[in-house]
Amino acid sequence: MRSFSLHTVGKGSDDSGLDQPGSEYKFFGYQYSFRISYFKMMHFLLLFSRQGKLRLQKWFLPLPERERKKIVKDMTTMVLARKPRTCNFLHWKDLKVVYKRYASLYFCCALEDQDNELMALETLHRYVELLDKYFGNVCELDIIFNFEKAYFILDEFLMGGEIQETSKQSVARSIEASDMLQETMEEYMSKPAF
Amino acid sequence: MPAPIRLRELIRTIRTARTQAEEREMIQKECAAIRSSFREEDNTYRCRNVAKLLYMHMLGYPAHFGQLECLKLIASQKFTDKRIGYLGAMLLLDERQDVHLLMTNCIKNDLNHSTQYVQGLSLCTLGCMGSSEMCRDLAGEVEKLLKTSNSYLRKKAALCAVHVIRKVPELMEMFLPATKNLLSEKNHGVLHTSVVLLTEMCERSPDMLSHFRKLVPQLVRILKNLIMSGYSPEHDVSGISDPFLQVRILRLLRILGKGDDDSSEAMNDILAQVATNTETSKNVGNAILYETVLTIMDIKSESGLRVLAINILGRFLLNNDKNIRYVALTSLLKTVQTDHNAVQRHRSTIVDCLKDLDVSIKRRAMELSFALVNGNNIRGMMKELLYFLDSCDPDFKADCASGIFLAAEKYAPSKRWHIDTIMRVLTTAGSYVRDDSVPNLIQLITNSVEMHAYTVQRLYKALLDDISQQPLVQVASWCIGEYGDLLVSGQCEEEEPIQVSEDEVLDVLEGLLVSNLSTPVTRAYSLTAIMKLSTRFSSVNRIKKVVSIYGSSIDVELQQRAVEYNALFKKYDHMRPALLERMPIMEKTASNGPTDIVQTNGETDSTILDTKHLPNITQPASQANDLLDLLGGNDVVPVIQTTVPTKPASAGGELLDLLGDLSLTGGPTPTPAPSVPMSQPSFLLDGLTSQPLFNDIAAVIPPMTAYNKNGLKIEFTFERSNPNPNIAVITIHATNSSEADMTEFVFQAAVPKTFQLQLLSPSSNVVPALNQGSVTQVIRVLNPQKQQLRMRIKLTYTHKGSPVQDLAEVNNFPPQSWQ
Repeated sequence: MRSFSLHTVGKGSDDSGLDQPGSEYKFFGYQYSFRISYFKMMHFLLLFSRQGKLRLQKWFLPLPERERKKIVKDMTTMVLARKPRTCNFLHWKDLKVVYKRYASLYFCCALEDQDNELMALETLHRYVELLDKYFGNVCELDIIFNFEKAYFILDEFLMGGEIQETSKQSVARSIEASDMLQETMEEYMSKPAF
Repeated sequence: MPAPIRLRELIRTIRTARTQAEEREMIQKECAAIRSSFREEDNTYRCRNVAKLLYMHMLGYPAHFGQLECLKLIASQKFTDKRIGYLGAMLLLDERQDVHLLMTNCIKNDLNHSTQYVQGLSLCTLGCMGSSEMCRDLAGEVEKLLKTSNSYLRKKAALCAVHVIRKVPELMEMFLPATKNLLSEKNHGVLHTSVVLLTEMCERSPDMLSHFRKLVPQLVRILKNLIMSGYSPEHDVSGISDPFLQVRILRLLRILGKGDDDSSEAMNDILAQVATNTETSKNVGNAILYETVLTIMDIKSESGLRVLAINILGRFLLNNDKNIRYVALTSLLKTVQTDHNAVQRHRSTIVDCLKDLDVSIKRRAMELSFALVNGNNIRGMMKELLYFLDSCDPDFKADCASGIFLAAEKYAPSKRWHIDTIMRVLTTAGSYVRDDSVPNLIQLITNSVEMHAYTVQRLYKALLDDISQQPLVQVASWCIGEYGDLLVSGQCEEEEPIQVSEDEVLDVLEGLLVSNLSTPVTRAYSLTAIMKLSTRFSSVNRIKKVVSIYGSSIDVELQQRAVEYNALFKKYDHMRPALLERMPIMEKTASNGPTDIVQTNGETDSTILDTKHLPNITQPASQANDLLDLLGGNDVVPVIQTTVPTKPASAGGELLDLLGDLSLTGGPTPTPAPSVPMSQPSFLLDGLTSQPLFNDIAAVIPPMTAYNKNGLKIEFTFERSNPNPNIAVITIHATNSSEADMTEFVFQAAVPKTFQLQLLSPSSNVVPALNQGSVTQVIRVLNPQKQQLRMRIKLTYTHKGSPVQDLAEVNNFPPQSWQ
């Protein structure tokens, strides 16, 4: 049973040029996922601070830049407005938003209606554990200064919104090996990385 | 040229900025440096520059000029370059930019690289943002990697294949051979991704689904091993072995078992085992239980198992963890239709959740409570719900009030209880009830003939207390206008009659007219009420005075009414008593066009006119009702009651306006009711037997074909939306008779400005070939002005590899859909 959230459609997609000039018609499509199929997966994963600053964004669907910015803004506003001791799930458009706060960072992801929210919490937790294992007592600063590594770790854990490896050690080993490869290359080139 | 600053240094510098303007300045300076570095084609520092650009992009600054640089990095031989290049591609590029296609060759090469981590990078990028063209080109490579023995690559290839299938469903067949022994893997990563791949294939194709049903025993075995196996450090989460894999297998089992008896039977045992053995002290155990419950409810499980599932949900409701309570309420809401009795057993827990502090939980609990209300528990439930209405947030009040009204209508144990409940809602949440509640309630009140005195008394008392809640005031003034004589004569049986004089009543009504709190609609109600009292009260002069004052009111509506009422006093005084007589009982009708009967013959408020669209729940017993029955089904015959004269036309044009359009729906001109049954006996008998009585909620709007071209056919089916009759709910069914699937199918619609449109999500975006399935999507059209519905639709899809776009006008809507 899909929940019919009565969000008003308002305008049609801005960048699609669907308005017939000079006519009285304005086209409406199913907003938000107007080019996307009906996937059963995670749509995006965001990390942001308590002040609403974005620290990581992973999108599993192609969306225009403008829409991404809007979604980030909506998510941060909604999640930051939540009172403490409320449940970790929200409804937004027709997606489920699962969020969890770890120290000063909010981890937030959006799922399809059919997905298992409790498991999504476990997924977010697993990602935090992986970050913790890599950085050793990870904190927000680690992710700010090493954001590319946070992405690399995420890309070893999730792909296309699905989990690719369920073993913590396995992910850690892959990252370690990749880092070694990077350093080896750098030593060979005798130039600093970045 | 000095080396560009390092990434971490840049981050540190930017973080020292104290204002937005300062940050912007730093960024602009750095961007300029990066741009000139790019122009110089500096290979050494390209990586560093792109990394910095990605950081600035995350802060919200434009970074499109780095797109090509990412491609250069990907093409480089250095692993560091590739790593940052692919990351940049995933962040800055997507299928909308033409430039992304340039990546295809690089990815192809990297898919065959000697280093598995490079292969991994390219698989990951393709699997995250590959466009359909890229997927088409590279599917072969992915398929090859799916068969490799390297588990690191195999698991990535599986998820990449999932993405390819999502983008280009026709390629699904190609991956079928490679799936042969995916499940015999020992590596959990490969197992997990394989299950995801199989799930995706089964969801997209019924053929695949039947093909993979034979895997059920194997899946059951794997799941069993996971549960029974001892502690495995690598995959353990709080004592449970690889919960992620368990959940995915459960989901796949759900899809395979749905609708299939044999498969469902094969998984019964393992589901029972998981349900009873899983440790529930932590979230992870509950997550698995939750998935199990969802699976049990979806497949053809035996009843014992279903009861077990609902009991698990019941236990969840008592859990301290809010998330689990929330999840339980959501699932129970889904199952309450099918397993109503089982859910009823947990009613008291659910009702307790109404008092929870969490807003999401309260909302779910409210919805579920309404679903559980029935004739047996109505009194108890209503007490709880009314208490909830008192104390809940304003956002809930409208929904709660509507829910209470509906429930009360369905299951009211007595009329008095019903009226009391309505009164309670109006007085506690009176300003939040929906606009259409007012006519609904008025109609309800007229039907409870014996309660008229009691009702008007209570409403009068409520008005004395508080005149700010408009719906309450409107209902009250209507009732006082209608039953004012009962009020002053002190006839109430149900409770102690109050002593009130005509002047006091008129004081109250006049007070409404002048009060700042009253809306224009409310003022109109009170003016008409005052007018009606002229035939019920003796103090006619006072009423005449009031009416004449408002003849010069600034409010046009009030002015018109006053002028017309004045005319009634002066020129048509002989008609007045008859016109302002007691209203007949109003019928509730089905909400579809041709069976609508115009009810009103006294009020001009537009809200009353909407009563004709109410869904019928109860059949008020009255002789007027019998007459209506006899009038039968599809003719648009205005209801004229025996007691009211039916030829106001002779009284002058303005009186027709006053009384509302008796021939609103354009049916045959009004004829006195008694003559109708006499004149067409055979038709009426036919009406009784062959057609549904208009009281039934029969969907009589025929479906229509909106579009039929190039093999794509789109049909519209209709329903009226209850409770708002101005919303038409259209479901589109798109079918495809050609030989190839239509993918990326998007339906868009445009309507003229007087309408409003809302599209809900489509069932999928692939219209399968040869009419093997359809895509459905729901459209809601709001048509407050009841204009003729016109629509322009735009269809885009990909057919046989090429994009197709078409525009069409849809003008053949059946009149019932917009009248």
